[in-house]
Amino acid sequence: MKKVSGIDVLLWTVRLAVGGVLVYAGFLKAVAPSAEFAAAIDAYHLIPYHAASFLAVALPWIELLTGTYLIFGFMLRASAIVSSALFGVFLIALGSTLARGMDLASCGCFGAETLRPKQTIGVDIVLFILSIVIATASRKARPGTADYWIETR
Amino acid sequence: LQQALSFIVARFGASVLYLRSNLVLYIGMFVKRLIVGVFLALLPFIAVQWVKQTNWGPLLSVPPARQKGPSSARVVIFEYSDFQCPSCSHAQEPLHHLMDLYQGKVRLAYKYFPLTNVHRNAIPAAHAAECAAAQNKFWPFHDQLFQTQVAWGPLSNPTTSFMAIAQSSQLDIPAFSACYADPSRLGAIQEDIEEGHRREVNATPTFFIGDTRLVGGGPLEGDGARTIERELRK
Repeated sequence: MKKVSGIDVLLWTVRLAVGGVLVYAGFLKAVAPSAEFAAAIDAYHLIPYHAASFLAVALPWIELLTGTYLIFGFMLRASAIVSSALFGVFLIALGSTLARGMDLASCGCFGAETLRPKQTIGVDIVLFILSIVIATASRKARPGTADYWIETR
Repeated sequence: LQQALSFIVARFGASVLYLRSNLVLYIGMFVKRLIVGVFLALLPFIAVQWVKQTNWGPLLSVPPARQKGPSSARVVIFEYSDFQCPSCSHAQEPLHHLMDLYQGKVRLAYKYFPLTNVHRNAIPAAHAAECAAAQNKFWPFHDQLFQTQVAWGPLSNPTTSFMAIAQSSQLDIPAFSACYADPSRLGAIQEDIEEGHRREVNATPTFFIGDTRLVGGGPLEGDGARTIERELRK
């Protein structure tokens, strides 16, 4: 069996961070009524409400699945590409609201206090870059991933 | 010829063996991937099903003063709202439009859901509205609260604004003042908030039409009529 290197440990930490964020975000949305997330998507005024309703049901599951696969290192490269696409799309959506001078806080009144758009963009850029790092570093199955376990067993 | 034949047999025989062993390897790998993939996908699915609330129980009744429309109406729109919430103010237009469109068929019931952590004057506004409801003048007071929201929302003490609204709504001012000073009136607001939490209301305005939940004015405008029609057909 291949020895676990420092890069593998670092990659595992990054996978846990990015996957953890996706699982947390997806779980909160999946257990809440989808109408609330639909309203949050609708507040961006980027897609019609019916598309927002569909996305509100599908997106939490995509986040949950991608996050879980990242944490366990299953289909790691594909999961990291999906993850970077998710963060990329979110970045574009948030950026467009800033460019249009929209204040999302005034579009929907949500009970929980959330990060301001500029803070969210900062966090999102970091997660986007980390996802690309995972995708680049996992061209081959690395020790400590489900992919490696499947290939060597 | 013999040499050529033995070459072909040797060549193809090896290829068949190679192909077979690779095929077995690929199928084995595919099955392993499938099992691991499904198992990992099941983990969040089970966790969500475990936590997700699917039954919110019946809605508690709303005092008649906070209802609008005939009691015989076949459809009731329950509105969880916050007087300091800009979205709730914007939702009034599509809501009025629906009430006009389905006049006689729809009743509106208002429930307090002040978002205290983001709107500091939401509770005082609900308190004042409850005092207007005590004098059966909830709706004119409600309308004016939303119309003047931008003015009283940022104030450190909005009492003067509420008094002015009470006067223009032709309320009995001494009775209104006594009610506004009485903290026991907050009980009705608290009941609505607790019910909202039980029903997983986290944002305002949230509308319930039958079993359908619509959050925000946009969804109400887009899906409200369709939802009412569906309820009328039941």
